[in-house]
Amino acid sequence: MSTPQIEIQLIAAVVAVACAIPGVFLVLRKMALISDAISHSILPGIVLGFFLTHDLNSPWLILLAAITGVITVVLVEAIQKTGLVKEDTAIGLVFPALFSIGVILIAKNANDVHLDVDAVLLGELAFAPFDRLELFGTDVGPKSLWVMGTILLCTLVLLFLFFKELKVSTFDAGLSSALGISPIVMHYGLMSVSSITVVGAFDAVGAILVVALMIAPAATAYLLTSDLKKMLGFSILFGVASAILGYWVANLLDASISGAMTTVLGLVFLSVYLFAPRKGLISVLYRQKQQRTEVSLLTFLLHLNNHQDINERHINHLNEHINWQKVRSKTVVELALKNNMISIKDNIVSLTDKGKEFTELALEYIITNKDEKIEHMKDDFFLFRG
Amino acid sequence: MKKVIFLVSVCLLLLNCKGKDEKDNGKLKVVTTTTMITDLVKNIGGDFIEIDGLMGAGVDPHLYKASEGDVTKLYNANIIFYNGLHLEGKLVEVFEKMESPTKKQIALGETLDKTGLIGSDYFASNYDPHVWFNIDYFKQFVRKVTQTLCEQDPVNKMEYLKNEAGYMGQLDGLKVIIETKIASLPKEQRILVTAHDAFNYFGEAYDFEVVGLQGLSTATEAGVQDVQRLSDFIIEKQVKAIFVESSVPRKTIEALQAAVKAKGFDVKIGGSLYSDALGDPGTPEGTYLGMFQYNVNTLVNELK
Repeated sequence: MSTPQIEIQLIAAVVAVACAIPGVFLVLRKMALISDAISHSILPGIVLGFFLTHDLNSPWLILLAAITGVITVVLVEAIQKTGLVKEDTAIGLVFPALFSIGVILIAKNANDVHLDVDAVLLGELAFAPFDRLELFGTDVGPKSLWVMGTILLCTLVLLFLFFKELKVSTFDAGLSSALGISPIVMHYGLMSVSSITVVGAFDAVGAILVVALMIAPAATAYLLTSDLKKMLGFSILFGVASAILGYWVANLLDASISGAMTTVLGLVFLSVYLFAPRKGLISVLYRQKQQRTEVSLLTFLLHLNNHQDINERHINHLNEHINWQKVRSKTVVELALKNNMISIKDNIVSLTDKGKEFTELALEYIITNKDEKIEHMKDDFFLFRG
Repeated sequence: MKKVIFLVSVCLLLLNCKGKDEKDNGKLKVVTTTTMITDLVKNIGGDFIEIDGLMGAGVDPHLYKASEGDVTKLYNANIIFYNGLHLEGKLVEVFEKMESPTKKQIALGETLDKTGLIGSDYFASNYDPHVWFNIDYFKQFVRKVTQTLCEQDPVNKMEYLKNEAGYMGQLDGLKVIIETKIASLPKEQRILVTAHDAFNYFGEAYDFEVVGLQGLSTATEAGVQDVQRLSDFIIEKQVKAIFVESSVPRKTIEALQAAVKAKGFDVKIGGSLYSDALGDPGTPEGTYLGMFQYNVNTLVNELK
């Protein structure tokens, strides 16, 4: 593996972690789209910075861009507070306006400078290793690795210092104010961090990949856990793993690196969406099917409980009485037998002691709707897991 | 703890992916951008250099996107030859940053005498980058490439000079063939209508009036007014054929044809010209010489 290959993966991994952390909070606060908005609305900031410094590599560009990012958030909030439009509409109103101001600024002043949308806007991960940083005359590595590393370090320090505050203000703004933590300060703090991260990452890896790295890992992690710490861990893991896997897919296909990474991020989300243990599509479908069977089981047991008459309990009569199709009744009888709830003697079905107890508990639960009665049955039956 | 595990696993992942061992055969490694320059360098360097072209046949240099393999190619290169004059867009900045004692990067277009180049109407410092359509400029490219190869690899100097002499001869031959062919087309019929302004140098050299629908950059699109204006022009001059380009979608030129038809004049689409890229490798149009002849033959036959 050549040096630039290692460096590209390193940059991608650092960017992935730096994006995943604010991404989690954005997704939890239902503000995922703001990262896309910021990535466009920072353009006037970059252009102004360029006009002031005449240097595309000046740190002022990043700073001014980040400030424009925060202005985006302030404007979105202001419009949203009028109560006339929803948040997503407010985002949709603000960022095209800011972006087009940037485009007009470029178009009006592009006569003597080589400044087009591509030159300012699009970082390309493939070429990041060739833009080196030199300190005191020695080459210390790719510039974007240093920029993103610094941003990541700041993000991590802030995360550790304000973890509790962030957590409370994210999940319960009211409680947060009551505890003396201003949700507004937290909000703008988070937005500033996101804004700086987007700007830095934008320069390193390009627009689409930044948005993908912010949203996809967090959204994927949210399918797997509701614990904030675990969610952060999972997002970082998914982000970094997709970035590195994506790199090798690009290597295999000799394709665009950011394109491959974004595709892998999408595929990871899809597979987790399908196979996640609790919120996954397959598991949800399975659970619904099991619940249906268990409702039938309960109906069947109640029927047995209500009818002491042997005729009513003859196995051939069940179909008529409860009006099930044959296949279903077979599944239900088998399930009941497996759980030792019924016994069959001379084609007559009777409840066992366990079956009786279960039926009574279930009845009581249905009537009183008290959870503690059925706590021990939750493990065996989906029905009681809500 | 989780972070530690994860960092360790990342390191393992990185270490696990062993790279293919680069065979170093001592040959000069040269990376080129457009297919025209790739063909040129191949003709001069022959088997004495290892050459990698970044852009394939039919790739629009304005819109080229880098792939993973390109990174390693650029990293290992000793010399990078490219057109410059903003043809390769942001790539030029990347190349300029790569200049180092072990890596030369040469913008062939920038080495030309700027006074002869066609400037943009709007931006004084911007020149039309499609200089390869003037064979004399292309010959200057050949000279520069040969010089650079000789400097960087003095051992094979004689071979490069021999190849240069041969190739220059072929280019002179090409010039004669083209001039005779074009001479058979009356001057007032020499009107070339295409999707974008790639043929200005060609027009200048052979007295063609070149009209582009789209302007220099292929990233911008033609406006409705452009189409109307151009269709009036075609009817007025009784142009027989308009042309599509290999690296630009057909759609815009078809729209133009439809606009002309709507005004009661019939203009045919004369076929596809090679502008920003050569044809597929292995075909005659895959070389600069073949491409130029193909373009001229198509033009002259369709416009007659």
